[in-house]
Amino acid sequence: MSKKNGADELAYVRDLPGFKPNNPTYFEQEAIDHLIGIVLELGGELWTLRDRMAYMEELLRDSGSKVLEKLDAGRPSDALQAKLSAERKEFISRVYSRLYSRYGGDKAQHTTAPM
Amino acid sequence: MSISDPLYVRGKIAGVYPSLSSRRDEAYIEFVEDARNALLHGQQAPIAAYSRDLLKKAGASMTPDKASCDAAEKILMQDPALKTYYRVKRSLQESFWNGIRSSFNMRRDAILAAMDAAVTKGPGTVTLDPDMPMPEYSQAQIHLQPGAYAYEELGGLFYDYGLKVFMGGAADNDNLPKMVARIVRVPADGKVTRVLDLGCSAGATTTALKLAHPDAEVTGIDIAAPMVRYAHLRAVEQNIDVHFKQMNAEKMAFPDNHFDAVLSMLLFHELPPEASRRVLEESFRVLRPGGAMTILDFTSVDDRDVYNMWFAEMDSKDNGEPFLPPFVRSNIEKTIAAVGFKMEPFDPKNSLRTGRVCIKPLQQ
Repeated sequence: MSKKNGADELAYVRDLPGFKPNNPTYFEQEAIDHLIGIVLELGGELWTLRDRMAYMEELLRDSGSKVLEKLDAGRPSDALQAKLSAERKEFISRVYSRLYSRYGGDKAQHTTAPM
Repeated sequence: MSISDPLYVRGKIAGVYPSLSSRRDEAYIEFVEDARNALLHGQQAPIAAYSRDLLKKAGASMTPDKASCDAAEKILMQDPALKTYYRVKRSLQESFWNGIRSSFNMRRDAILAAMDAAVTKGPGTVTLDPDMPMPEYSQAQIHLQPGAYAYEELGGLFYDYGLKVFMGGAADNDNLPKMVARIVRVPADGKVTRVLDLGCSAGATTTALKLAHPDAEVTGIDIAAPMVRYAHLRAVEQNIDVHFKQMNAEKMAFPDNHFDAVLSMLLFHELPPEASRRVLEESFRVLRPGGAMTILDFTSVDDRDVYNMWFAEMDSKDNGEPFLPPFVRSNIEKTIAAVGFKMEPFDPKNSLRTGRVCIKPLQQ
């Protein structure tokens, strides 16, 4: 944009607090900020599961199914295990990777033990 | 009904491991394993770069001597991200042991009965030595494993499943032991009649050695009775003919010149250096002239800077590895040479940890 359109006059907005996303910290110990975020996130995840489990168990009981007995003895199908594995990795990254945002570790890939 | 049914009541997972007692327990451990992969293993490279940068900015000495490590700790453990990393590491280690122990304890009596029943079953054998004096170092709770290796009857099972979680999938289907068995050095004349696995733990490397050398007699020894009892049941389950003996590697009950090849997989860093020297002397004695010993273990201090030396010291304190720093600082290469071995080059791309190949000379 040209100068006469006022682009330079508005350049200062880029430096306004809140213009760029950042990671504000409110406690002297940054880890405490992270932990509160994690605890809140886990509460949401836990409640979502409790709600879903309770509803599923009600549906299963109503239908006379014996599936509930198999829940602990069995294991999900290979396809569902693969789906859960991918979702679990995403869940862990989403909930916890912020712990290492200070040095860019939140962008690190999942790996196995070093070979 | 097979004797190993109580061990595999929900089948196997990752090819070789006995399943936990319920899907709920399994889901919990899958979470811990993936959390370790993301929050510990996946952080190794970036956190090392970050830590070294912090040390350089602080003008710290990068040499791996003890004083420099102590100084590095003061600098690094001021950092909130690093404090968090070590807290997470400790918590996840505690989580996986708690999860494994509580799950297998639910069928404890049945598993113990299965191990008892397997003692007289083949193929292969297990020999216990209940009167063997146990050295004090055997009481160390390595990796924080509940009951240590030798003092919890389900220790072998805990260790086996713990390795699955610890390795984050790298040991699934015994892939890691099989890789190790393939790279174990054999004598130059190619004759492999007897192979010894030192500190065999759950016996995965022992059975892998048998698969790699089907015509050889393969023996695994471990100081811990719970390890060899479980290892035998695991081998019986796989129908692999190997022999396990409860034995202290510092004083082996084998004749001189008995073995063609010896493997030590991650044993020496779990021993005090004085014991390591005796194990090396004994290994030299039981190997035939021209025989080869392969040692896979952590690097020595000469191959480290202050960051990864300090990392080993943190591991000793936080992960129950009391003998890791003394091992690293001992430069075991010097002891290997002192007991008479001739070292040969080892391709570092071949192994999990640094490999040392030790040959017993034909002429002594």
